[in-house]
Amino acid sequence: MSSKQTPKISSGALVCGDNKMHGDITFGTNSIVHPSCTISAESGPIIFGDTCIIEEQAKIIHRVPFYRTDKNPVMFIGSNNVFEIDCTVEAAKIGNNNIFEPKCFVGNKVTITDGCVIGAGCVLTDEQVLPKNTIVHGSGCKQREALDQPNPQFGLMDTLMRLLPNYHHIRKPIKKP
Amino acid sequence: MEMRDIEYNKSSYVETSLGNKVSRQTILCGSQNIVLQGKVIVQQDSIIRGDLGNVRTGRYCIISKDVVIRPAHKKFSKGVAFFPLNIGDHVYIGEKSIVNAAMVGSYVYIGKNCVIGRRCQLKDCCVIEDNTVLAPETVVPSFTRYSGNPGVQVDDVPECQMDLMVDFTRSYYQHFVPEKRSKVES
Repeated sequence: MSSKQTPKISSGALVCGDNKMHGDITFGTNSIVHPSCTISAESGPIIFGDTCIIEEQAKIIHRVPFYRTDKNPVMFIGSNNVFEIDCTVEAAKIGNNNIFEPKCFVGNKVTITDGCVIGAGCVLTDEQVLPKNTIVHGSGCKQREALDQPNPQFGLMDTLMRLLPNYHHIRKPIKKP
Repeated sequence: MEMRDIEYNKSSYVETSLGNKVSRQTILCGSQNIVLQGKVIVQQDSIIRGDLGNVRTGRYCIISKDVVIRPAHKKFSKGVAFFPLNIGDHVYIGEKSIVNAAMVGSYVYIGKNCVIGRRCQLKDCCVIEDNTVLAPETVVPSFTRYSGNPGVQVDDVPECQMDLMVDFTRSYYQHFVPEKRSKVES
């Protein structure tokens, strides 16, 4: 696994310069990556969908459990996901419209579907598939179902798209052939 | 009780004329929007997001390692606006805490590993214990002690909290001294 690959950034995505990235990473259109986050594709490529927000100190690590032997596994992350400050996400399959709140931890045996909210400070490590619209909250990491999915934050993204280029070095998107 | 000296490597800190001690390993985004009023300590690997909005701290603020300070945003009909974040005097913020508040009063103690949610208001003289998670838009009244996930009031704070915090932050600043060993070597 070559570690010095440049990430593939689709046009319209905004990826700040000073963050740590290793391996084969692909960002979809309109994604926003704040400075000083860590994205590490250790055991295979990571593919982000469209309009994801990745905030500072978020750690997205692709590390498959040792008993999985499938070759070159790919970490798929859907659209409209928000990774807030200091969250650690190792789940190999993530659907759309999910929110990972600050300081949450999602282990590599977890599969996340659509519309889930992982509350601040919650830890999920057991092998499980989170059903749609699940909210994990509180100190005991209780789970309950929400009535509908969290709204995508388009207003916030517009503001960030305007603000961030004034203050940060931006990695240039790679033109699609 | 006298506090023990906390030594830092002199070459890795910048000291300004107002007495601010800022580590070189911090990430200060949009530094023209960050105002440190004097005698503020910012320790290594902390992040202050001045690019999103103005950040203003009072005197004798202590920002520990790995702290993230970022102004909160609010959705309006015309779009999203970021609020300026004002932090009062004599505030201590513990390691690895995230402060996403709209306002932090004076004489506030925030423990380690806390998450202060979006647009929280911390009034003067309150204490947030270690590992607390404050839900978004929580208002913490004066002289209260908050703990847990989600954070709730667990106790009151004595009326002398103001004097305690003044003593604590002053002595922390006085005992935050450069390493003596490096002077001898050079």
